[in-house]
Amino acid sequence: MKYLSICSISFFNLISISIIFFLCSLYFLLNNLVYFIEWEVVSLNSTSIVMTFLFDWMSLLFMSFVLMIASLVIFYSKEYMSGDININRFIMLVLMFVLSMMLLIISPNLISILLGWDGLGLVSYCLVIYFQNVKSYNAGMLTALSNRIGDVALLLAIAWMLNYGSWNYIFYLEMMQSESEMMIIGSLVMLAAMTKSAQIPFSSWLPAAMAAPTPVSALVHSSTLVTAGIYLLIRFNMLLVNSWLGQLLLLLSGLTMFMAGLGANFEFDLKKIIALSTLSQLGLMMSILSMGFYKLAFFHLLTHALFKALLFMCAGAIIHNMNNSQDIRLMGGLSIHMPLSSACFNVSNLALCGMPFLAGFYSKDMILEIVMISNINIFSFFLYFFSTGLTVCYSLRLVYYSMTGDLNCGSLNMLNDESWVMLRGMLGLLVMSIIGGSMLNWLIFPVPYMICLPIYMKLLTLFVCIFGGIFGYLISVMNLYSLNKSLKFYKISSFLGSMWFMPYMSTYGIIFYPLNYGQMVVKSFDQGWSEYFGGQHLYNKLVNYSSTLFLIHNNNLKIYLLLFVIWVLILLNFLLFM
Amino acid sequence: MFNNSSKILFLSVMMTGTLITVTSNSWLGAWMGLEINLLSFIPLMSDDSNNFKSSEASLKYFLTQALASTVLLFAVIILMLKNHLNNDINETFTSTIILSSLLLKSGAAPFHFWFPNLMEGMTWMNALMLMTWQKIAPLMLISYLNMSNFLLVSVILSVMVGALGGLNQTSLRKLMAFSSINHLGWMLSALMISESIWLTYFMFYSFLSLVLTFMFNNFKLYHLNQLFSWFTNSKILKFTLFMNFLSLGGLPPFLGFFPKWVLIQELTFYSQYFQLFILMMSTLITLFFYLRICYSAFMLNYYEINWVKTLQTQNFSMNFYLTMSFFSIFGLFLISMFYFTL
Repeated sequence: MKYLSICSISFFNLISISIIFFLCSLYFLLNNLVYFIEWEVVSLNSTSIVMTFLFDWMSLLFMSFVLMIASLVIFYSKEYMSGDININRFIMLVLMFVLSMMLLIISPNLISILLGWDGLGLVSYCLVIYFQNVKSYNAGMLTALSNRIGDVALLLAIAWMLNYGSWNYIFYLEMMQSESEMMIIGSLVMLAAMTKSAQIPFSSWLPAAMAAPTPVSALVHSSTLVTAGIYLLIRFNMLLVNSWLGQLLLLLSGLTMFMAGLGANFEFDLKKIIALSTLSQLGLMMSILSMGFYKLAFFHLLTHALFKALLFMCAGAIIHNMNNSQDIRLMGGLSIHMPLSSACFNVSNLALCGMPFLAGFYSKDMILEIVMISNINIFSFFLYFFSTGLTVCYSLRLVYYSMTGDLNCGSLNMLNDESWVMLRGMLGLLVMSIIGGSMLNWLIFPVPYMICLPIYMKLLTLFVCIFGGIFGYLISVMNLYSLNKSLKFYKISSFLGSMWFMPYMSTYGIIFYPLNYGQMVVKSFDQGWSEYFGGQHLYNKLVNYSSTLFLIHNNNLKIYLLLFVIWVLILLNFLLFM
Repeated sequence: MFNNSSKILFLSVMMTGTLITVTSNSWLGAWMGLEINLLSFIPLMSDDSNNFKSSEASLKYFLTQALASTVLLFAVIILMLKNHLNNDINETFTSTIILSSLLLKSGAAPFHFWFPNLMEGMTWMNALMLMTWQKIAPLMLISYLNMSNFLLVSVILSVMVGALGGLNQTSLRKLMAFSSINHLGWMLSALMISESIWLTYFMFYSFLSLVLTFMFNNFKLYHLNQLFSWFTNSKILKFTLFMNFLSLGGLPPFLGFFPKWVLIQELTFYSQYFQLFILMMSTLITLFFYLRICYSAFMLNYYEINWVKTLQTQNFSMNFYLTMSFFSIFGLFLISMFYFTL
């Protein structure tokens, strides 16, 4: 049974498909090939609904990454979820999730993309509520409903796309770029992408979705669910460049990056910190995408997927060891007790910060340098670089809390590296998050970007990172007499630490008045006037009539007989005298 | 009931009286049949000699029916005098008098006051006869009169009195009496359309009443709270009993809806929407209080008098009851299937 568990079988299948796709993508990349497979489902009045598959190097490479990460995550889950009786359901859900992602990646058609898109939404709901408790249920509802906004936007876009007679958007984007209808479609698609990638008005679901099991977080936050929005906009990139859509998206995604970076510095939940860092990186991808550099966004998407999956897997191992506690204040000194996991954790953290020659460095550094040579206003520039600093800041804070010092957890707690199954999954990704950046760099950009910068600007990124790191260390240093400075500015820090109040706004903010009015309506109509004038009133009236009727019934028989005789006499009277 | 040989005599004479009325071709013969029927039903009613209420009921029945018969005879004589011994009944006021006396005999609405009173003092089997068999003769005679205006008044009043009267009842016999008045309204309405629909309605109504009355008689149930407490140890009996109740009320999946359905269709066909509206609304009220009873019986349990009696199944033919209940509950499906195969 060891080799025939659902985890092992899925792992081998997925990893082999992943390798095949990777080789295919290399072939496609070398020969500059694009395969386009179309199956007409139904054709009506010159409008045809088709199932379309687009195979180019981008979709193949993305699929191979998704499959690789999914396979490792499933391998990892074999150990992580081993005590769970519903592990089969769990693995099947993950497989369905991956399948939805595949469908999304290879569809250049709005209708067929909706298949994967809705699949992601549904399965992500099932995965978030996997641990069936109230908290997961709430998180799942928030996730599902936030994503539903995007689904609706996509449906509206499909309706608008009917104008063109086909939903194969890639044929129309360039041609119809300047039309106002196309701009409407573009804005709807952008809305959909923003919900899926948790950009600013819709950010609150991403940390909430941490209620899912950790392997799911590793999969969702690295390469699947949240990157679906980015990938969709990569395909729709034509519409963002040189239009107000792109400018709006640049602003919102820059703010998302900034907000998430600040929020992560106030957070004490291990998984939420990582979730917020994902949000910050998503903002980075979105913003570079909105400036038109879709290849760079894709590049960062892939490298980020590698180290973020690793980071979550390490977090899962740590959480296992901490008796399912996620509070980083209870951690400490983990580098001594679980060295291999800590090594992975640190590598992925440093890759996230953009430590030179790790995976994140290539993409992030290039993005920032491209930003510097582009035409960009000072505000966006500030958001880019301040957020980069913040990334290093919260990463170092995380390392400081969890890796250094003494263990702050309860007594009688044994720490060790997890078993080899989990470690193998992590080590596979460790290699990828070290070499992945340079490898992809050489693959995707056969011709290097020409970047020409003065020395002080070239060093700006490095300076910001170092400064952020120092700052991150300084704000988290604690000793016996230290005073929590954030409590002095409590209003500001609670604003920044709660994602700019977005979780409240997208839950209570939306439902507060409808719920209140609903209560009033129920109270005054359903259980008030309509009850009084409807059922109850009718019933009381009928009972009253019934009682009145019995006033007549409660008489002697002679009266009735007499009444009958009188009635007959009246009739007789008519009979005789008319 | 059948342990007394005199009862066999009275019962057969009573039936003969009805048959004489139904088959006679002159008003005098019809009157004679009614009188025979009445005079043989009186001793049947007062068979429970220990109960003064049944004697009182028989006396009341005698007075009412005698008055009605007198008026009928009187009106018939006037009719014949005016029309030179002809049986022509197109005379408005005379036939209104005849109709009034027949409505009094059958217990339809403006003249129904004796009916619930009487039912209260009768055994269940007598009540069943009063509700079903005793209606045949007067209704048959009413069908000979083509007086739609006054009959319509009677229909409307009957259904409304039946519906409203049952609403506050806790006595099962009175409840059945008001239910009978309500059904009588429907039957009179059916009479105005066609005799066969009336016959259908009457047969279905008699069957449903039989099922319920049989049950009540076996367990000596006379009040609602007995229903709640009696069947606590037999859920199936309780359930079927209340299904039969609903069937009598005319709730759609049960058999009781079938005659109503037919009548509703016919009334719609003849554009009698106002009448139909009143019929259906009043039936809604009856359904409401049947449902209310069922609801209380299913949802509530009265344990106070559970110790009184266990279910007496020794003298109760369960198979007979359940077979009839089956037809009462699933009859509509069976009829539909029957027509479907045709």
